Amino acid sequence: MSHGGKLVHAVREILVKDNSSQAGNVGRTHAAGRIIREAALVAILGAAFAFAANQVSPLGLALTRDYFPAGTASPAQPAVAGTNSGAVTPAQFLAEQMKEKGLQLLEDGKAARLFHDPRFKQDIIVFIDARDEEHYQQGHIPGAYEFDPYRPEKYFDTVLPVCQKAEQVVVYCNGGDCDDSESAAILLRDVGISNQKLFIFGGGITEWTANNQPVETGARNSGNLRKPNP
Amino acid sequence: MKTGQTSWSRVAVNVSAVLARWLLGAVFLYMGLSKALHPVDFLKLLRQYDLTQSPLLLNSLTATLPWFEVFCGLLLLLGIAVRGTALTLIVMLVPFTLLVLHRALLLHTALAIPFCAVKFDCGCGNGTELICRKLSENLLLFALSAALLAGRGRQFSLRFSLIKPSA
Repeated sequence: MSHGGKLVHAVREILVKDNSSQAGNVGRTHAAGRIIREAALVAILGAAFAFAANQVSPLGLALTRDYFPAGTASPAQPAVAGTNSGAVTPAQFLAEQMKEKGLQLLEDGKAARLFHDPRFKQDIIVFIDARDEEHYQQGHIPGAYEFDPYRPEKYFDTVLPVCQKAEQVVVYCNGGDCDDSESAAILLRDVGISNQKLFIFGGGITEWTANNQPVETGARNSGNLRKPNP
Repeated sequence: MKTGQTSWSRVAVNVSAVLARWLLGAVFLYMGLSKALHPVDFLKLLRQYDLTQSPLLLNSLTATLPWFEVFCGLLLLLGIAVRGTALTLIVMLVPFTLLVLHRALLLHTALAIPFCAVKFDCGCGNGTELICRKLSENLLLFALSAALLAGRGRQFSLRFSLIKPSA
């Protein structure tokens, strides 16, 4: 029996009644065939509707864009409990991953030192927040530039000249298994920002807030600072 | 007396079937919209499944699936092409449920925790959920779709069948 035949048979089996069809097996087979044709029509119309809605929606995705320039494979799976002592630490693993992608991971505690460096005030050291607008507004490293790697066209005009002028560009996202900072760094590298000055702050905003560093809410330089806990 | 009981039970079945159709339609409308309004989040979640290495395929699936669910949800709420829509939903539910199950089994093995304690955001539109709850929900959606496929829920339909039988 062909696949189509099997499907007709399966649908026919679960039909209880069909008022508009003739009684008996022939009628049920016709009804099943109609339902399958109707499902195919729904699928075609639904697909057309879906593509059109994506095109029209301001939030729609660009179908041909590679949103994960850092690699399409998903982030690492959670570590298995009870690994032996010879295993690499998460930090080492992350550093190795960055190295493979030609990116540099910022050393522990370096992000805070760069933030308090006087060169930060002159935009010689720049922080780039690679999260979406909603998260950026909720709280970011004070003075960090917003750069959502999934909507880069919206931010290039502001961020590119700043990164070109800067000597060190620190890119961060949420931390943990978030790899949006890598995607943002690769996007910046692809448009000509030197690899040598791009650094990934692996701990991201999670580590930043955990270390009681200040957080700014709203727009960049809004002055709305959430003070660290005493 | 018996006729009265039969007629009441028929009414109860019909009302339940219409409610089931509206419930199924509302669930798909909600799940579709919650993903369509956050396409990047959905893209990241779908990427977890390693379905494809092709950005075009991954983007197309992410961009269309939520709106497709919205479309099916609307058809069910309005009562248009109900049986065809129910069959489409069943054809969609089965592979997606198997994918979610596969990922849950991977996490169950990797984290060495009981299967029902596995909790993750499957990209289904409800955020982080316990796997056993998610599978039960999908089973319910499957059962409702099967009931509609069987011809229930005709009342208050704009056009229950799009393709009419030939005379």
